[in-house]
Amino acid sequence: MPPPLRSPSVLSSTPCCANQLCRTTGQSSRPFSTTPRHDQRVTRARRGLFRWLTLQGENFRNPLSGSTNYMGAYDNKLGVLKRVLEARDQRTLERAGKGEVEPEKTNGRSAEEKNIPPETQRDRVPFPHNKMFISQAVLSEELREEIWSQIMKEGQSVREVSAKLRVEMSRVGAVVRLKEIEKEWKRIGKPLARPYSRAVMSMLPQTPFDPHHIVSHESINDLPVHASTGQQIFHPTSESRQFTRQDAAKVFNKRLLPADDRIPHPELVIQHRERVTEGLSVEERKERAELRAAEAEEKRERKATREAEAEAMVQKVESGRWEFRFTPINTDDAGKDGRGRRGVGWRYGVPLYDRSRGQIKIPKIV
Amino acid sequence: MSRKRFHGLKRIVPRIRMTWNKYNLYNLSRMTSPNNHGTYFQQKWKAKAATRGYHGEQIREKQWQRMFTSRLNAVVPMDHRYLGEHDGSELAAGRGSGLEQRLEGKRTSRTLTPYMHMTYAPTERRLDVAIFRSLFASSARQARQFVTHGHVTVNGKKMPYPGYLLNPGDMFHVEPESVLFATGQTKDREQVKAGRELKRARRVANTRRAEKRIAKREKALQAIANKKVAEELAAEPTPKTPRPVIADETEARKQRKADLQELVKQVKAILENKKAPPPAKRKQDLREINREIRGTMSVLNRKPVSEIETSIDALTARLTNLYPSNLFARIDKKKKPDSKPASDIAGKAQSSTPEYTAEEKKKMREALVLSRENPVDESKPYATPWTPRPYMSAFAFIPRYLEVNHNICSAVYLRHPVARPGLAEVPTPFSAEQMQLAFNWYLRRR
Repeated sequence: MPPPLRSPSVLSSTPCCANQLCRTTGQSSRPFSTTPRHDQRVTRARRGLFRWLTLQGENFRNPLSGSTNYMGAYDNKLGVLKRVLEARDQRTLERAGKGEVEPEKTNGRSAEEKNIPPETQRDRVPFPHNKMFISQAVLSEELREEIWSQIMKEGQSVREVSAKLRVEMSRVGAVVRLKEIEKEWKRIGKPLARPYSRAVMSMLPQTPFDPHHIVSHESINDLPVHASTGQQIFHPTSESRQFTRQDAAKVFNKRLLPADDRIPHPELVIQHRERVTEGLSVEERKERAELRAAEAEEKRERKATREAEAEAMVQKVESGRWEFRFTPINTDDAGKDGRGRRGVGWRYGVPLYDRSRGQIKIPKIV
Repeated sequence: MSRKRFHGLKRIVPRIRMTWNKYNLYNLSRMTSPNNHGTYFQQKWKAKAATRGYHGEQIREKQWQRMFTSRLNAVVPMDHRYLGEHDGSELAAGRGSGLEQRLEGKRTSRTLTPYMHMTYAPTERRLDVAIFRSLFASSARQARQFVTHGHVTVNGKKMPYPGYLLNPGDMFHVEPESVLFATGQTKDREQVKAGRELKRARRVANTRRAEKRIAKREKALQAIANKKVAEELAAEPTPKTPRPVIADETEARKQRKADLQELVKQVKAILENKKAPPPAKRKQDLREINREIRGTMSVLNRKPVSEIETSIDALTARLTNLYPSNLFARIDKKKKPDSKPASDIAGKAQSSTPEYTAEEKKKMREALVLSRENPVDESKPYATPWTPRPYMSAFAFIPRYLEVNHNICSAVYLRHPVARPGLAEVPTPFSAEQMQLAFNWYLRRR
């Protein structure tokens, strides 16, 4: 059943709520006490609070079914959804255009007024003074299940799934991690917080999953703003020069990569260039993609071997509780004056700050 | 730790806090844009005081000053099609800033990146704030308490420090019971009393059981000793044949019994609902249903399982018809309530079960599952069946730097919050001007 539409005409008929909400009306637990009850005195401010809670605030008491219920969606004076007001105005205008008479205000509202128009981005502002923060959609249960099955069942890579479903790579990884735990809980029979999850999901905007029409969840190619690009540079070059992104990056910082290489999905750019700009055939593109994949694989292997070598350098002693790891050190790391930053252990004259203020003494990484 | 008036109403500029409190909601509703009276220093001071009342109010000022950084993270969403088709030289064409026709033709309204809203981004990295943002606690202070009380793990390890700065990829988990307590409705006085009594009764029963167990163990030890003696006397054991029991059927019976008990609980909850007491006629019907449930329970072990099942279905259907808003009716809302008198249906109940199609039966089973997931349990510290606390929906949002799974009350901190054109990821109730003043306050030279 859709909830009744909230409007002041309805709300003003229930002023008794103020008494229910306000604890002051209850009987005192110490009837003979002469001490003034400072805690629950009825002041003008408190009266204002309870008036607001019975009128406009009543909208927020329970979630709105089938929609989010943020303060930015309401007209604070009237306590009515802005979109409802707009729809009402629209209808009045239409009626005036047709030359119909205004229908009598009856007790029961008409059917078209009962169903609330769909929400827009404007209605997802939880803080009315901050239009720059909107409540963005979260992944729906179906979409999460789909991500999990594509990764764990079909064995696709995180990169592929991310590009296909338009979800950030880190989010894809997190979804799979969390889903795995959820399934493990189900397997061992640990109860899930289902009622809570259902309630929360009904209050949040969601990105639906439809296999035929993929809705973009978020922008997947976010370029982080690099600190060295914050400055304005006057860089004179010849007019005939092709001044590309690579050159611009070089001007900002010698080691800065161009935007094409700093975005999370550079392969999408390459694929698009090969297909549209260069106009390569399917076979050629396939060949190139394989080449790139082989290169990436080689790079990954090299990195893995390097890490394995570094790991092998560490001597490990396993006790029941701890793994002791011994790494060789060089006394010369302390430098000639013994103050080198890479030096190990306590050195004369080099202050130890570990007990002073402002040092972080709780774990930084778990 | 907190002052006496956390959500004050008196101030001209009331403090907005990181809570779901109704006072906070009211203060939020009457928040006004700050007037620019006073010197620049005064404006900055006021803005700082207001914003710090919300962002990391539980953090000492010095601690926050050390956390503050003037570097604000931002991203620009890129279109891979644009990057593929252009190499960037078109922006440097002409006299160095692109051809003029292009600019005219484009005429896009460039949305600004709200950098100033990222002033308090470092506080969002804290564990307690992240728990509050994931909707696992109703306030940042409650989240902090959960952490210090040991209800939170990070990457599977207990983390008792609310000031732990999450790293990208960290997974944190809060005890589901704590989350349900924090986000669920509170008990009223009667429920608290009932819960206390239930707990006391349980405690008594447990101690009694423990005593019995000890006595039994002693008895068993005695028996073993006797047996040994007897064996020594005459080596002749007498093996007992176990009674043949079909495991499946007993399981089914147990299940059905649980269902019936659940039904009784539901009926009882409706009957004893003080806030919305049922009318007299409804009460009669409910009592009728209750009586029938008792009848079915008494013949639970005598009748075949299928017959018991059909009668349970019939009872569930009747309750559903009476209460379309009840837990049982969550699924088939469209079904019209029967207007027939209860006795009529009761007469039919046993015979007319084929009336329910397979789909309806399935729905009823689902409804049963729903009610089993969200049972009435007086011993919990929150009102049962669980419902979200009032005024929660106005504050329910999850910023994009977190990925939350509410089923298991766990979340992953994906990355640090960033600003992007037109959007800031740090949730803050303050306007850009106020945030800018606060940012300027914390810059080294003020």
